[in-house]
Amino acid sequence: MALSDNAIVGFAETPIVPRSEVDVWELGAQILDHLLERTGFAKDEIDGLILSSSQTGAGNNFWSQTTADQLALELNFCQTVDIGGSSPVGSVARTCAAIDAGLCETVLCLFADTAVAENNGRPRSYGAEFTNPFGYLGATNAFGMLSCYYDHRFGLDLRALGKLAVTQREHALLNQYACEKLRKPITVDDYLNSRMINDPIRLLDCVMPCDGASGVLVTSRKRAEQRGLTKCAIPLGYGERTNLSAGAAMVDPTVTGHRIAGEKAFRQAGLKQSDIGSFHPYDDFIIAIMMQLEMLGFCKHGHGAAYIHETDFLFSGDLPLNTGGGQISAGQCGLAGGGTNLVEGVRQLFGEGGKRQVKNSGTALVTGIGGIPYGRNWNTSTVLILTSNG
Amino acid sequence: MSQLNDLLAIDRPVPPIRSFSVPFWEATREKRLLLQYDKVVGAYQFYPRPTSIHTGRRTNLEWREVSGKGAVFSFTIVRRARPPFRDHEPYVVAMVTLDEQVNVMSNIIRCSEAELRVGLRVKPFWHPLPDGRHLLLFEPDK
Repeated sequence: MALSDNAIVGFAETPIVPRSEVDVWELGAQILDHLLERTGFAKDEIDGLILSSSQTGAGNNFWSQTTADQLALELNFCQTVDIGGSSPVGSVARTCAAIDAGLCETVLCLFADTAVAENNGRPRSYGAEFTNPFGYLGATNAFGMLSCYYDHRFGLDLRALGKLAVTQREHALLNQYACEKLRKPITVDDYLNSRMINDPIRLLDCVMPCDGASGVLVTSRKRAEQRGLTKCAIPLGYGERTNLSAGAAMVDPTVTGHRIAGEKAFRQAGLKQSDIGSFHPYDDFIIAIMMQLEMLGFCKHGHGAAYIHETDFLFSGDLPLNTGGGQISAGQCGLAGGGTNLVEGVRQLFGEGGKRQVKNSGTALVTGIGGIPYGRNWNTSTVLILTSNG
Repeated sequence: MSQLNDLLAIDRPVPPIRSFSVPFWEATREKRLLLQYDKVVGAYQFYPRPTSIHTGRRTNLEWREVSGKGAVFSFTIVRRARPPFRDHEPYVVAMVTLDEQVNVMSNIIRCSEAELRVGLRVKPFWHPLPDGRHLLLFEPDK
């Protein structure tokens, strides 16, 4: 058994909203309902549940069990993946491993968070002792310092970053599930002139916290074939790295775990960068997209801006980028937000992109970013390369 | 350019103490900076941890006193904060590389925006906490 013996046979998502009017479990039920409808699987055939991190679910020691109970799922495998924003992509890999190991056969991967409406998160970290007393506000400050260092090392080309913001916004205009408030065109000047949050991070560098859910149904490729499910996304390569250089007191924060995770995923997939049909990087901040382009080998370390200027990232372009708008232009569903990038990649492979369908629906690369360590970049980097069936 | 605030008058969140960070916090009562040092590999680490980040061996660790002098590694000027820091913006959150090659997060105070840059030499400014401990802040080392 191998990673590629598994298949994503369905995807689903809810509209992304500034604050959910319904309970997180109702969003979960909507995802389950859509997946059953679209794949033809019966509820009783689902024997595995893997949940992403969720700030609504946080603090509940029984998050996966209680969710399974609400959805009335009888399971052979039930767990939560708690690697933050990396957990949706990480869930797919863990699902495949569980199916390969014979623990279960058909798995609901559910990414649901209503962090705006109900945030139960209480992270236990270095923060209370060594960052909060200084007025450090978490991710935006972390990315401010990271951007400052990048600027010092390579120079920060704000117009290049602005181009990424504008491209993703163009895509959100074509995505009916993107948060309505964000579905307005922007220009590079809008990006440059947006309010400074903490230098050099501007408002349009940041995700807007939102509520919503997404999910995929995963089964063995063999079973998918038996069921006649020809539209599938097959995972070809996966890499994950948590706490890059954990044993070093000083690191270059412009180097991230995506370099190692990406090398592994590309090697396992037997593909190279130019084979990628669409690119769906986790986007909590605009600069994270540029850093991933560098670390994943689309361009050299420190050459992201030049590459951005010469590349067309529209759905119709050279390297379609977050064709649903990404989280920055569709809204971030808390710690489940990585599902937004993942589901869009799967949609493109299914050929269901509609007005934003990419030309090369053969392969997609999806990533995750999770957790903010002390003065570095991020805790976990994940890379998943998918191909369409056949 | 705006005036950067030093945040000396606000009630900051009081940091908890973990079982393995007691020596660090106790030393701040006397305005002394102790770092964990792995004597086998000859390297410091920060923030204080329950084991050596270099070897994973607890017995390799000892506490060593250092000057606290260093240089700004990176910084951000916070213009939008939450209480109790709200309405005290802008202020600086920075990583400082101590001369012992560890990065420490803190505020840079008594520093103008024009003066603030990566590489700026800084020295400790010990800010009193209500319980007698001190927070390690930094100011330009002129």
